[in-house]
Amino acid sequence: MSEDPFAERLKRLEDRIAAANASRAQPAARVGAKFTQGSLAWRMVTELVAGLLLGLAMGWGLDSLFGTRPVFLVVFVLLGFAAGIRVMLRTAAEVREGKAEGALMRPSGSDGGPERDDARRPGEE
Amino acid sequence: MAATEHGGSGFNIHPMDQFRVEPLFGGTEVHWYTITNATLWMALTVIAVSLLMVAGSRGRALIPSRAQSVAEVTYGFVRKMVEDIAGKEGMKYFPYIFTIFLFILLANLLALIPTSFSSTSHIAVTAVMAIGVFVTVTVIGFMKHGAGFLKLFWVASAPTVALRVVLAAIEVISYFVRPVSHSIRLAGNLMAGHAVLKVFAGFAGALGVGAVIPIVAITAIYGLELLVACIQAYVFTILTVVYLNDALHPGH
Repeated sequence: MSEDPFAERLKRLEDRIAAANASRAQPAARVGAKFTQGSLAWRMVTELVAGLLLGLAMGWGLDSLFGTRPVFLVVFVLLGFAAGIRVMLRTAAEVREGKAEGALMRPSGSDGGPERDDARRPGEE
Repeated sequence: MAATEHGGSGFNIHPMDQFRVEPLFGGTEVHWYTITNATLWMALTVIAVSLLMVAGSRGRALIPSRAQSVAEVTYGFVRKMVEDIAGKEGMKYFPYIFTIFLFILLANLLALIPTSFSSTSHIAVTAVMAIGVFVTVTVIGFMKHGAGFLKLFWVASAPTVALRVVLAAIEVISYFVRPVSHSIRLAGNLMAGHAVLKVFAGFAGALGVGAVIPIVAITAIYGLELLVACIQAYVFTILTVVYLNDALHPGH
């Protein structure tokens, strides 16, 4: 007789704690989600352009070293472009798997806990 | 730095004036030893970090004061990030990563104080940090794995040797792309945000009564900039940790 109300109250308290936890976990992860997409797009563009420019600079440098103006320039611009795409694709893979910066964009408040296991080794394919 | 005087002929907005590095104590030339506004604000950043971490956590109270809990939460946040991504081995480099995080975070936040100088909006500042990370990570990689670290660039799964050579060149270049994009992103984000704020402020100066709209917009953008400041510090740090992890475990 005397046990019943306590169990009832305990259960109500647990429900309230669970609800409070849920409501606290949600917004933290969602605030930046929209904005982070823009930030990621910006990151990808930077990587693409940086690759191209780096290739250009390396080709230019090698050419002025060896006196073969267009050869290395052409080759390294292409290589640089490929490298830029490579880095960009790696970023895209990060987002897809919710690693690194992509972790900011995961839909709900999975801020830690067992889900973090898959974030162990980014940079891998 | 009052960039918003409206003269007789339309707008007179100089959004980039706020990024000018100027000597604090007279003179016009900037030598390497000249104390400039950049020096001042970076020093203030260091002081702010020290205040937060050293003075804030001095009490070591069981029930933390506000400053102490901020310090503790920040510490725990970065610590967890390093542990999750780079594992236990990465914890050795935690102080370095935490220092970078705190410096960038507080530099970004201090830059949001009106009339302050945003030191992290300068490529020179962010590039030094990115190069520091790049060199550190590369050195760690070679120290841990010796020449085996170069396997990071060698795609052994490619069918022919010629293809592997081309892929190795691409990998090497993409390795060098990382510090470039690493530094440009932070500086670019900060600079763009602050320039936009200034442009809107210029509108407010030119519009007279209609200035309500740009002022509301500035308030919104300021909120966004607060987010950018934190997220960019986070992103710079997490990329540092990811690169560190690549050096510790260069498995392809």
